Order: sequence, then C-alpha cells, then structure tokens
Amino acid sequence: MRPKHAPRVIDQGSVWILVAVPSIWAGHFLLSYWIAAIWCAKLPAGASLAEIRWVIAGLGALSIAAIAGLGVIAVRRYGGEFLVFEEITESSERGRDRFIGHVTLLLCGLSVMAVLFTVIPGLVIGQC
Amino acid sequence: MLPLVLTGCAGRHNWLASAGAEAQAVEDLFWVLILGAAVIWSLVIGLAIYAHQTSAPRKEPQARRFIVWGGAALPTLVVGGLLIWGMVILRDITAKEGDLTVRVDGERWWWRVIYDGPDGPFTTANEIRLPQGQTTLFRLTADDVIHSFWVPALGGKMDMIPGRETSLTLTPLEQGNWGGICAEYCGGAHALMRFDTIVMPPDDFRTWLAAEAAPAEIAADDPGWQVFLDEGCGACHTLRGTEAQGPVGPDLTHMASRERLGAGIYAMTPENLSRWITDTDRMKPEVDMPAYPHLSGAELEALVTFLMSLE
Ligand code: HEC
Ligand SMILES: [Cu+2]
Repeated sequence: MRPKHAPRVIDQGSVWILVAVPSIWAGHFLLSYWIAAIWCAKLPAGASLAEIRWVIAGLGALSIAAIAGLGVIAVRRYGGEFLVFEEITESSERGRDRFIGHVTLLLCGLSVMAVLFTVIPGLVIGQC
Repeated sequence: MLPLVLTGCAGRHNWLASAGAEAQAVEDLFWVLILGAAVIWSLVIGLAIYAHQTSAPRKEPQARRFIVWGGAALPTLVVGGLLIWGMVILRDITAKEGDLTVRVDGERWWWRVIYDGPDGPFTTANEIRLPQGQTTLFRLTADDVIHSFWVPALGGKMDMIPGRETSLTLTPLEQGNWGGICAEYCGGAHALMRFDTIVMPPDDFRTWLAAEAAPAEIAADDPGWQVFLDEGCGACHTLRGTEAQGPVGPDLTHMASRERLGAGIYAMTPENLSRWITDTDRMKPEVDMPAYPHLSGAELEALVTFLMSLE
C-alpha cells in the first residue's frame, strides 16, 4: 500500500530506515554527552546532575519512541519480523523488503538497549 | 616482604580481607561475577559437548530461538543488571558525605594529608589514621602528575588528577594497619609511593587527632635542631610552630610517631633515618630530596636524635 503522494525517504523499499535507527541512538548519545559535559563544566566542581537527569531521561524516552515508530513502519510497510525461522533468500521486491524490515527490527532492539544503557548512568549516579 | 609486595594480594594489602565496607561491596560483586561466569561457562561448554556428541535431529526454528534468547536476550539482561549494580557501588563509594573529611594530595613520591583538627585544618604526611566504623570522605588532588589512591583492604581506588578534585569514601570495619599504595604509574619511584592506614577505635582516634594537631615540641638549644636549621631542611620541611615552614616535602612535626619512613617503605628506626639522610637516593631512587653525606658523625647523630624525638 504505497501512499499516493511523493515518495518519502523512509518508505517501503528504502534502505534509509536501516540507517535511521542507529542514527537516533548516536544522536541521543551525543546530545546526552554534550548536555552533561556543558552542564558540569559551567557549574562549580562537585555539581550535581540532579536538575538535568530528567532531560537526559526525557531525551531517552523520545529516542525510544522514535525507534519504536520506525519499528512499527518496519513491521507494517516492510512486513518485517523480529524472529525469522528460515533464511530470507527470495530474490524479489517482497523478499528484499522483508529482509530490510527484519534487520531494522534487530537494529531497533539493539538501539533501544543502547539508549537505555546511556540513560541508566545518568539516573543512577547523578553527579558530575 | 618482597613476595608480599609482588603479589599484592596477601596480608595487609589483601583486597579480599573485608576490612572495609567499600571493599566488601566490591568483593560481593566480584564473587557473583566469578561464580556466575563459572556457571555460564560450564553450561555453554556442556551444551557444546552435548551438541557435538548427540545425533538427535534438531530443528532450525528451535536453534534460532535458542540463539535469540540465550545468546542475545539473556546476556543483555545479565550485563544490564551487572551494569546497574556496579554503578550503584560506584555511586556509593564516591558519595560526597562522611563523618569526617580528609584531604590527600598526591606528590612525587609521597602523600600530603590534611585533617580537620580541633582548631582548624592541619597538615601531616604519609600516614592516615581512621576511626573504626565511621565513614571518612577523602577529597583527592594531585600536584604534579596523575596518582591513584588505593587502600586495597578498605576500598577504592580513585585517581588523583592535577587541577581536579576527586572523592572517595572509606568505612573501615576492622582495626589494623592496612597498606596503601599509589595505583597509577607516576614516575621512577612510583612503586615506593606507599602509606600506612591505621584504623583505631574512635576514642583513640580523637586523642591521636588532638596530639597530631599540636605544634612540634622543640628545645631551642637542641643541637639536632641547630643542624636541621643550618642544613636548610626547613626550606622544604615544616615543623609546625617553628620557623621551619617549607612546603616542598612531607610535614615532619610528629614524624617519629609514624610507623614508617620514606612514604611507607622503611620502619621508622634511627638506623634507617640516618641512612635516609646520608644516602637518600639509595634508600629511594629518584627521590626529590638531596642527600647529606657530608654531615659529620656527631651532627648526624644529633639530627637523628632530634628527629626521633618529634613524636
Ligand atoms: C629540596 C627539598 C628538601 C630538602 C632540602 C630536604 N628534604 Fe627531606 N624530603 C623532601 C622530599 C620531597 C621528601 C619526600 C620524599 C619521598 O618520600 O619521596 C622528603 C622526605 C624526608 C623524610 C621522610 C619523611 C617521611 O614522612 O617519611 C625525612 C625524615 C626528611 N625528608 C628529612 C630531611 C632532613 C633532616 C633534611 C635536612 C638535612 C631534609 N629532609 C632536607 C625534600 C627535602
Ligand atoms: Cu604516585
């Protein structure tokens, strides 16, 4: 069910969905790192992350929501499955879509874990 | 002595001695890690042997499901759990709270130690005394290069970084003299940069703190004091309450009450002290103190007697 308007970057058949997922992870990592680094550098020694840990957690929630959104697209438009029980070798439009969808879902799992692993130190340690 | 130093894991440097709450926390994590790893390793090897020997038919979906859950989901959970546990420990041992605060400054190759005494802060060196059962907050700095503060039996370690302050707490549970070391290579005498950590009952600790805070007791006509002044020792060393106010080397106000000489490396005896003054570089290669081989026998004896009286 290809939409009628102009093709989007992330649409059925586009490999960009693969790149987008880990990019969100990378973006979240960099943003969290920059925010914490600038916050700690601008405040006196021994400052606390308490005020901004929720910013980091919020960024994490946003990133996970975005990754989940791409995951939904991977399922709906690409027919991706998280677990496949046989090799996807079919050389057809549908086979390629299924493969991209599957890989995207795996990357979604990895990226969600990675984002969580970035958020956890901010929540647990909470000091510069 | 040497085998003990080399292994670093026996007696008073034993990080599995459970002599401190912080070391205990790390030790608990360590045993869970080791035992958990042993269990997982045995399981994996057992499965590999089974898979190699059995001829039972296996189904692809089953194998894939096993890999996803056993090879991806389970490790993620285990590593995530260990990550959180490790971070909670890190948070607790770097907490910025304690019943008392001690500042330690790493120098090549000794330790400047600053206590809050009854009448304000005072400086001593190379030996740290702590009250048993109380949490001491260490505020750590370095003067020249990166050092690392570690009392393995009690807890730690924590880097000391020039231009920055790091912190660490120690809550000693057992009395004794626990060895401390510099745990970050800092130059030639790095391995000889040590200190004693003496854990004592809180009442004794308070008595010691008051005595340590007091100025040096010196008889103005002590011949050894004259040698000390004439040789210029006071340019580098401080004897609190006198004109010797040098900040370069360790405070010597109560040096004779320390158990060891030369940053925790020799017993504090007149013989060792005498050799320290005449053969400094042989006692501690690359040391930042000049040797005084030219002192006459009488001068040296007077100086050593004087220093050994600084209790
Ligand atoms: C140029 C500065 C300098 C001068 C002068 C100097 N010292 Fe030192 N001294 C040091 C330094 C630095 C150390 C620490 C060495 C180490 O442990 O690495 C030290 C260590 C010591 C120690 C061991 C302290 C301890 O806690 O174990 C004693 C004792 C000592 N000096 C006595 C003397 C005497 C006595 C004189 C004069 C005859 C003297 N020093 C002159 C710099 C100096
Ligand atoms: Cu050092």
